[in-house]
Amino acid sequence: MKITNTYNLLGFALTGVILFGCKAGGDDQGLEYAPQMYHSVAYEPLTQITDESQGSWLSTREDGKGEYYNSNIHNPNNMNMREPMPNTVPRNKNGYLPYRLKAFEVDVAGETVRNPVELTDDVLKDGEQLFLNYCSTCHGKGGQGDGKAGEKIGGVANLTGGAYIGLPEGHIFHVITKGKGRMGAHGSQILPEDRWKIVHYVKQKIQGGQGAQTPVVAEAEVSTEETPAN
Amino acid sequence: MLSKRSLVGVRLNFHTLAVLFFLLIGTQAFAADPSVANSDEAVAAGKTVFNANCKQCHKLDQKYTGPALRGATDRQSVELVKKFIKNSGAVIASGDAYYAGLYKEYNNLAMPSHEFLSDDDLNNLLAYIEYGDVVDPAAAVATAGADGAVATGGGIPSEYLTGIVVVLVLVLLLILIVLGLIISVLTKYLNKQELDETDKEFVSQKFEFGKILRSDGFIIIVTALVVAMVAKTAIDGLYSVGVQQGYAPTQPIAYSHALHAGTLEIACQYCHTGVEIGKSANIPSANICMNCHTHIQNLEGKEGVSPEIQKIYDAVDNNKPIEWVRVHNLPDLAYFNHSQHVKVGGIECQTCHGPIQEMEVVGQHSSLTMGWCIDCHRQTEIATAGNAYYDKLVQLHSDSKDALKVKDIGGLECAKCHY
Repeated sequence: MKITNTYNLLGFALTGVILFGCKAGGDDQGLEYAPQMYHSVAYEPLTQITDESQGSWLSTREDGKGEYYNSNIHNPNNMNMREPMPNTVPRNKNGYLPYRLKAFEVDVAGETVRNPVELTDDVLKDGEQLFLNYCSTCHGKGGQGDGKAGEKIGGVANLTGGAYIGLPEGHIFHVITKGKGRMGAHGSQILPEDRWKIVHYVKQKIQGGQGAQTPVVAEAEVSTEETPAN
Repeated sequence: MLSKRSLVGVRLNFHTLAVLFFLLIGTQAFAADPSVANSDEAVAAGKTVFNANCKQCHKLDQKYTGPALRGATDRQSVELVKKFIKNSGAVIASGDAYYAGLYKEYNNLAMPSHEFLSDDDLNNLLAYIEYGDVVDPAAAVATAGADGAVATGGGIPSEYLTGIVVVLVLVLLLILIVLGLIISVLTKYLNKQELDETDKEFVSQKFEFGKILRSDGFIIIVTALVVAMVAKTAIDGLYSVGVQQGYAPTQPIAYSHALHAGTLEIACQYCHTGVEIGKSANIPSANICMNCHTHIQNLEGKEGVSPEIQKIYDAVDNNKPIEWVRVHNLPDLAYFNHSQHVKVGGIECQTCHGPIQEMEVVGQHSSLTMGWCIDCHRQTEIATAGNAYYDKLVQLHSDSKDALKVKDIGGLECAKCHY
């Protein structure tokens, strides 16, 4: 009996030690089963490991660094993510060119920039979802400037109010892209096409079509034709 | 407690009356312009104009993005105020010292022009600003008191529960004592009777704890239990190897999803911009934080800059990225794409990430094991409606009784995720 008890106790202790080592929780990532298959060899944009000694116990790297080390020393802050080269132009099949107007040129935008996205029911549906995701936080679900975060920030425009209802579509696009007054620039968060969809939704649904641009697709400065692949 | 509260109310009432009295005298002395009439219709119409155009930046009695408005026509002439509302830029440009000072005081934040407001609109608006929605401090105290009463009312049931449990335990103890007494009385009585040997032995037998401990049955049961528990913990432990469920690392900034996604109802996509267009949901860069935190420097009601928000400012000022700790580390051997699941599949973020809007510190909610992925692929029906990509697949599948699921279009194939 004594022997069984001793074995049992030993077993308990052992499992305790094993469990302590492998279960994740809090700051502990837990034990990995096949670490060399878990960690990317290539640069991973969202997994940066700057500690050169991490995983050195199983490292077979030629540069002598730890197996998990994943940082690009040639980038600022050793980041794996890279900003596009200066003066290069990103192209996609929608053919959107970079928006060149400066933040203060809001009146120019209102006069010259036209909505290249054709107004359809699908576009309005997308626009509504985009509006809820990116705008309603401050401007409120109905655009009345009563979003929960907007109440904390203060000074959020009531899109149904008189000062905003007749604004041209280019003006709205410009303000989303570059910001105005207390509103920040959202150009980095929302794709140009999605911004135009939001403009459609705001004009048609929130402002009841007032001041909406007459659909002049031919005049659009932006080509909607497919760009041939390079 | 209650009587004390009502006393405070009475005192405040006197106070308010006095204040109101002086306010009324004051406004009558200054707002002599006949166009700003204190009529109910004018105030109501003015409130509509105010809510549509002014509310976002102004409050009546409190500084907000712009100054408190009540008494605007006492401070400046009605004509000038109207002119300023219509086109603030022109008034400031004309060199008006008062409005130029205000403009400077509020960080050169220009008020948009309101040329579209008619003279009637303006008169109504000014009437509302002067006479509308006068805050009554006594009423504010009363509502606060009512809130308190509701809060204490919510706590009563749990107190009842503990009371009930305590009473139950007492009753059980009493029963135990009574049973013990009955046993002792019965034993005494039986010992006085004439009994044969076996009965005597039965009555006078002692309860031996050690004997039970040493009995074979007891040892077998205990050993079996111990072995089962050890086996269970060991297997659980082995299964948790390579599974990071529950991993909730400390982040460089004590960012609360409970506050931002929960209380403020900011959509996940607002910050995680890649979730519908790419493989990764992406961690927001500091410029997205700054959309709001240019203006919000601390929790509501706290002075100065919060040390956590200061870290964003430091990152922006020094152009140094914030080194967030990655929570979900899917092994490199498996491929996962957010846009396929969120945009095409229409799956809620919470399905995999759990109640993020309630988490102060984000932890890994799901196991992210292959079994977990496959399980979902077996059960989930594909949202084929309005997606022409699936038309032919739906047609091919139309013979089957079951709905078209992810497993039916290759959701269990190795190479779907491992390549």
